[in-house]
Amino acid sequence: MTLQNTLQQIYDLPLSNAIRENVNAFPLLESLHVLAITLVFGTILIVDLRLVGYASHRRSTNRLITELLPFTWIAFGLAIISGGLLFASNAMAYAANTEFRLKLLMIAAAGINMAIFHAATQRTIDQWDEDATPPFAARAAGVLSLLLWTAVIFLGRWIGFTLDVLF
Amino acid sequence: MNVQSFGDWLYATPISSTFRETSWIIPTVQSIHILAIAVVVGSALVSELRLASVLANDEPAGKVVRRYLPWLWRALVVLLLSGVMLIVAEPARTLGNTVFWAKMALVLFAFAATVMLRRPLLRDDAPPAAKAVSWLLLAVWIAVIFCGRFIAYT
Repeated sequence: MTLQNTLQQIYDLPLSNAIRENVNAFPLLESLHVLAITLVFGTILIVDLRLVGYASHRRSTNRLITELLPFTWIAFGLAIISGGLLFASNAMAYAANTEFRLKLLMIAAAGINMAIFHAATQRTIDQWDEDATPPFAARAAGVLSLLLWTAVIFLGRWIGFTLDVLF
Repeated sequence: MNVQSFGDWLYATPISSTFRETSWIIPTVQSIHILAIAVVVGSALVSELRLASVLANDEPAGKVVRRYLPWLWRALVVLLLSGVMLIVAEPARTLGNTVFWAKMALVLFAFAATVMLRRPLLRDDAPPAAKAVSWLLLAVWIAVIFCGRFIAYT
């Protein structure tokens, strides 16, 4: 089982060991992870509500996307780094955890949804940028994104209740 | 009636046992709590960065505040309700915890600052906001998140 070996190697890294041994490291990384996910979801939420056509949201869609996307990406980077370190500290248990696997799947689905939006739907944005209600493809992308990221947060919280802690 | 005995009484109530013994309730309420924090963080980020003249400077600050302040209030209501449920479920974990009370103090401070310094900006003739307040408020919300996560470890 090469995957098991790889996970064991990650678990045995000095960095992983340091996270396990320092009493404050894990909660600090978790706090950074929560901060990152609230920034990711908070900024995506604003764009998604605009895509869905939420009434009080009258700013140009394209402007919102170009303004907020850098924040989303930086926050997502912080989530990946903090999440990666949390994973490394207990690699086998996370890899075996159903909620963790589903969470990765949901993040991948959210990424595909976003890629399709940028590659296809956003190309015609000049035609509907200022419309109160964007076209169906944009609304669908917004709804799907909200559902997927909500699932990511729920699954992430569930990991803490289902993980077999090994240390 | 001190905090300890109130916590013991709360712990013994049927509703508290139900919350604890129904496996999905606490993680569900915690997830909703995090979603609401995300709404606060998103609203605070775009409003405060506009007030600090970092973002969306083509729009009047008042317009941005008018758009996002209602979201902040709604999210705070959800946070309060879900937070109360979490206290009812596990009183000892929260009421006897210094980090929890530090978090409450920070939330109260952020709430007061929002009422006194942000709500007036809804008026059309509002004076411009001090930029330092924006950075302070963002820092306070970040501190609230850290305290919230550390409650489970103290």
